[in-house]
Amino acid sequence: MIYGVKRVTKYLLGIDIAGRDLAVYPDDTFIVSYPRSGNTWTRFLVANLIHSGQPVTFDNIERLIPDCEAQSSRYLKRVARPRIIKSHSYFDPRYPRVIYIVRDPRDVALSYYDFSRKYRHFDDSYPLQRYIEDFVAGRLLSADWGTWAENVASWAFARAARPGFLLLRYEDMQVRPEQELTRIAEFFGIDASPERLQTAIESSSAERMRKMERTQGKDWVSTKNKRDDIPFIRTAVAGGWKEKLPPESVAEIESAWGSIMAPLGYELVTQGVGRVEPPLAAAAGFVVGKQRE
Amino acid sequence: MIRYLVEGIKRACGLHSPGRNLAILPDDIFLVSYPKSGNTWARFLIANFLYPGQHPDWGNIDRLIPAPEVMSKRDFEKMPRPRVIRTHDAFNPRYKQVIYIVRDPRDVALSQYHHHRKRKLIEDNHPFESFLPRFLAGETNVHGSWKQNVASWLAARNGDPKFLLLRYEDMLLDTPRELSRIGGFLGVEATPERLSMAIEHSSPKEMRRLEQVQADDCGLTKGTRQDLPFVRTAKSGNWRSDMPESSVAAIETAWGSLMQFLGYELAFGDQAGPVESAFPVSAMGGPLR
Repeated sequence: MIYGVKRVTKYLLGIDIAGRDLAVYPDDTFIVSYPRSGNTWTRFLVANLIHSGQPVTFDNIERLIPDCEAQSSRYLKRVARPRIIKSHSYFDPRYPRVIYIVRDPRDVALSYYDFSRKYRHFDDSYPLQRYIEDFVAGRLLSADWGTWAENVASWAFARAARPGFLLLRYEDMQVRPEQELTRIAEFFGIDASPERLQTAIESSSAERMRKMERTQGKDWVSTKNKRDDIPFIRTAVAGGWKEKLPPESVAEIESAWGSIMAPLGYELVTQGVGRVEPPLAAAAGFVVGKQRE
Repeated sequence: MIRYLVEGIKRACGLHSPGRNLAILPDDIFLVSYPKSGNTWARFLIANFLYPGQHPDWGNIDRLIPAPEVMSKRDFEKMPRPRVIRTHDAFNPRYKQVIYIVRDPRDVALSQYHHHRKRKLIEDNHPFESFLPRFLAGETNVHGSWKQNVASWLAARNGDPKFLLLRYEDMLLDTPRELSRIGGFLGVEATPERLSMAIEHSSPKEMRRLEQVQADDCGLTKGTRQDLPFVRTAKSGNWRSDMPESSVAAIETAWGSLMQFLGYELAFGDQAGPVESAFPVSAMGGPLR
């Protein structure tokens, strides 16, 4: 009952979290990904690219590119249009324009494990291997976003090759940030000079973001009141799973999601899992190989 | 302000429609489809199959198999379990047990065109050719385009034992077989008597007869044109005679590979364009049939 009253009051005051109830405008652009897939980095890249006059920080990022799953409906209504909004939502047909970032789920799982401990979803004694089992089976809080495969596949399959949908791989952004940021700039209709791209990339470096997390992390909505011995900005590298993930866990992930991973260009190491015929994979609108042409 | 206050009071009393915030119970079963794909027929079939004593009709179908956008939060809380809930939502990970009905998009397009006439959203003389681009772009309703809706579900769930994929065309062709598959999914034994009773009470003829007397009792038909029926042809393949060739080609160009994946033969063969139709069949465990 008290819970109900609280909800109604929040709704009346417009301070309920927007989430899936967000009022979407036709000129909105969304930066979407599964959690722990480089969304914050992309947010900083985009904000630094578009607002090149001012340094983007954890203090102003919520104003520049608000998080619709952390901010209220009222807050989002007041953001200047056209809005760029950050989201982790599974496929939402209402989102008109979407940049979707996908990351190797083997790295996502590792990162999510640290993140969940930071958020005190469980304590350090929860073994990684059991975590992976629960992560894959969708038994954790993370499953509110769908499982990794559900979130990725629902977007990639529904919007594949459609105008207004840009699929990026975190790994490509790591290897060739200029090229990938150029694609982002084109998506926003910005003709960015190499200097502007370079400045945006440098202003969004992992090092700089780590420094900001140390000084501003206490106030930022995503890090406030969370454990500060585990960083939000973690390794910022691709392939950490090769060293840190037990082979059983790798097999667990690949046997569940291999058929989605392979067409996205993530090489499977477990024998006999998710084999995909190249011509079919090439026919897929979201095959990342296309970008390598 | 008054509007907000009324809405607030409704919420406090649980009289608002929960929509996508519906509190889901672990044994809920969702009957999902894109609009105009046989969802209402399936609803009648299932309601007649599960609750024969309630004599499902247009007056009580919204209560027996409710939609989260239509019925109130309180109605949902009072329902006997397991609940069967109908929706047109694109993929939603919170729906764990799903019966998904898919229909040939060429027929869906035609059906939706006539439905929009019935709901006075377009004039009678509105050319189909100008309706179609909006249909392809997913602008004719809030559930995405046909392709986006179908693909989002298949991509996430196809092959999952808790995901039952049915084709409207198969349901027409062999209703007892498909309804007993539904029975199996619901965990209810499908005796021949039970099947034939449910099918008989859900026939297009019976549904049309009830619609004529109860059109004002159901949210689906209330306030719409009464000279056009909600239960239309209840057939498959109308597009062959009723749709301009160029429109057929446009649909197949846009969605050809997903249509083929679902077993819908293309009139224009493999000329389907490679762009939006690009569909990673391999990632979904191969074609259906």
